[in-house]
Amino acid sequence: MDRLGWTALAAAAASIPLLTSNTYYLYVAMSVGLLTIVTAGLNVLVGFTGQTSLGHAGLYAFGAYTAALCATRAGLGEWAAIAAAIVVTSVVGAAVAAAALRVSGPYLAMVTIAFGLIVEGVLIEWGSVTGGPGGIFNIPKPALRTHYWTVMLAAALALWLTAKLRRSAWGRAFLAVKSSEVAAESLGLSSYYVRIAAFTVSAAFTGAAGALFTFLNGYISPDSFTLQTSIVFLLALLFGGLGRIAGPVAGSLALTILPELLTRLLDYRLILYGALLLVSIYWLPEGVIGKLSRGRRGAGYRPSPLPSPQRGEGALGPLPHRGRGPQFEPKGEAVRRGLDSQGALLTAGGVSLSFGGVTALAAVDLAVDRGTVHALIGPNGAGKTSLLNVLSGFYAADAGSIALAGRSIVGLHPYAVARRGIARTFQTAQVFGGLSARENVAVGVAGPRLGTVLGALAGTPGARARESAIQARAQALLDALGLGNVAEEPAEALAAGLRRKLEIARALATGPLLLMLDEPAAGLSPAEIAALDEQLTALRQQGGPAVILVEHHMDLVMAVSDRITVLDYGRVIADGAPDAIRRDRAVIEAYLGGAS
Amino acid sequence: MYGLVALGYHITWATSRTMNFSQGHAVMAGAVVAYTVFVALGWPFPLALVITLAALACYGALVERIAVRPFFLRASPAWLLATIAVGIIAENVAQLTFGKDARAFPSPLMQKPIFVGSAGFYPQELLVPVVGLLLMGMVQLFYHRTSYGKQLKAVAWNPEAAGLMGINIPRAVMASYALSAILAGVAGVLLAPLLNVAPQMGTIIGLKAFAVAIIGGLTSAPGIVIAGLGYGLVETFTAGYISTRAREIVGFGLVILVLVLKPWGLMGDKPSRRV
Repeated sequence: MDRLGWTALAAAAASIPLLTSNTYYLYVAMSVGLLTIVTAGLNVLVGFTGQTSLGHAGLYAFGAYTAALCATRAGLGEWAAIAAAIVVTSVVGAAVAAAALRVSGPYLAMVTIAFGLIVEGVLIEWGSVTGGPGGIFNIPKPALRTHYWTVMLAAALALWLTAKLRRSAWGRAFLAVKSSEVAAESLGLSSYYVRIAAFTVSAAFTGAAGALFTFLNGYISPDSFTLQTSIVFLLALLFGGLGRIAGPVAGSLALTILPELLTRLLDYRLILYGALLLVSIYWLPEGVIGKLSRGRRGAGYRPSPLPSPQRGEGALGPLPHRGRGPQFEPKGEAVRRGLDSQGALLTAGGVSLSFGGVTALAAVDLAVDRGTVHALIGPNGAGKTSLLNVLSGFYAADAGSIALAGRSIVGLHPYAVARRGIARTFQTAQVFGGLSARENVAVGVAGPRLGTVLGALAGTPGARARESAIQARAQALLDALGLGNVAEEPAEALAAGLRRKLEIARALATGPLLLMLDEPAAGLSPAEIAALDEQLTALRQQGGPAVILVEHHMDLVMAVSDRITVLDYGRVIADGAPDAIRRDRAVIEAYLGGAS
Repeated sequence: MYGLVALGYHITWATSRTMNFSQGHAVMAGAVVAYTVFVALGWPFPLALVITLAALACYGALVERIAVRPFFLRASPAWLLATIAVGIIAENVAQLTFGKDARAFPSPLMQKPIFVGSAGFYPQELLVPVVGLLLMGMVQLFYHRTSYGKQLKAVAWNPEAAGLMGINIPRAVMASYALSAILAGVAGVLLAPLLNVAPQMGTIIGLKAFAVAIIGGLTSAPGIVIAGLGYGLVETFTAGYISTRAREIVGFGLVILVLVLKPWGLMGDKPSRRV
């Protein structure tokens, strides 16, 4: 939605209390506002982070009951009660998330449903505190018109905050985890932790809405917090537009007003919800808002045309100077400086891995020196990618030792390995969809250093300075790899060759000690391969990270490598300088068949 | 008791890595159809049973066609929401045709309780786990011994390869949904005399069964049956010693506990991660 739309919406919301004295209309408008706050929060979880919750009615209840108890028992004022509600739901939300987010997909949906039902059960059972099935009455409530402004301003604030959050390092982390958990972890992000943060934010929003609901009605009962309520929350978001900032508004309008108009069809309400849900899933994958803006923009995203070859495109531009803002000096850099350059950077000894009965790696030894390009070659199925996955922590080796700069990294999670200084790309390029090329790199630049969520929400000067430092470095990296002119393009719309480059830029952004490239030349044109060749050479000359290169294009491998390790059937069959490898009998046999 | 319904989740999950989140509504549909044919129309029970199961097979196939097939293989969780949507529509339709009130379903096995010591129970209550174990055995045999069952397993393992081997994947998935709905229908008929028949009975049964499926492990049929028995016992004891409401709180609390300790269920396999 553009500026005009927002202005019109704000004007409409502001004019309702001026145009009518009918409290019914005010009540309906405030219901829209409350639902907007909840769905804006839910948008952070479902739309940005891709996790489904069917238990938000439980969090809503926590907010509502906390506020009610504060107001009736503790005698707190409205604002103190709302603040208390937000704090309590955030804490509860974080706790639920810590338990629930160990799983995902249908499991997560189930845990959140279970949470909602437990809350509902407790509300009914624990009569001495919650008032049982009857709920809590006689909550002192503010004047309706005053409260109208409170709710509407809160709704506007909620939308503004989600928009802000989306543009922050946190927002990028949310979308990165949603788009490719594996790639996000390879950049040092713990997807578990990121999701907990998203869940907590959505819980806080929901808690605030629950408290406002209490002060709107003056009484609350368990009937308002059922599984159906959770479904309506989710439905409003889906119908309005998942991941769209304006989605919650559209969905809340539809889901509040439609049932009010159709009060005569009360018996058909479930059919209505079910049908709306199906319609949303079938025809409105981006919701009403997505449909509208797409219609206006025409064809939507167009794949970007290949940029015409530029002067010096092949060469790696100078890598951006890393001293830009002390907090963005990559960690790897500091580690590297602190160590003398003696000995191998990465040493792996006796690494073994098997899937069921199939041996993927059998006692593989590997030593990668600093500042070198180390190629890993071998026939298909030789275990090259498996080795990368073990080194980067995605697979746990059955046996063996792996040390980076002298410290063991065996048993670490992928994100922890990444934080130690290993970055990687994937055989099928995994760029983060929904983010622009520059944002993709920015995820790598920030890595796990996201700042605080509150800082991102409030837009503190510190957070803003960090943000511009991140963006500047991301842009510099894109320029260095010749991607500067596609910085604003959505990453998923880039051509295959550009995606691979983007992935490399993103991996470099973490400032790694070791960069692992998994078939970076696959699917590239000869010209692009030549460019890659130059870039790898330039990277080495500029004192970049050591590189492990898994590749089938022998010309490229022979041209850029300092050392080559050859794998076959999970064993190292040769290890040495390119020239020696070229003449090695075992290698020739493995590649050409046993014609000795 | 919930093991039977939970097995329905396992069957579709094992074939397609999707499931009917509204499995409970299929149970409800089974009970409602059986009530209509057997009690309201007064047809003989065997005929009513056949009609019910046939109707449920169609319902399962319909759910698959509407809510799962468009999203299968797209690794999109949309099927989860779509099956919920179909479920709540089914509930509403049942409300409109059947009425909102719960109705008693007569059964010869509910006339006289048997007493063992001081605890009394109805033969019907005994029938449920017996049939449950029997059906689980049949499902296991079907998967491990028949070629069609093996085909369904192959689809679960690698849909693309199975498709290349000439297995009709959409039909296999649809068959698994029909089978799963039939199990739900059997459960509906068995549970109807114990619980009374009502359109809103589905949600809670479905959720508890899902809880059981998760505790046992979605990929493990024996795990599910054991978890079903265990869950039933825990519920009965909680209801007996604390209160009926606490039953649900304890039950779902148990699910969260299991998920935290063993995220893939007591006997489930951890899905391998693809990089």
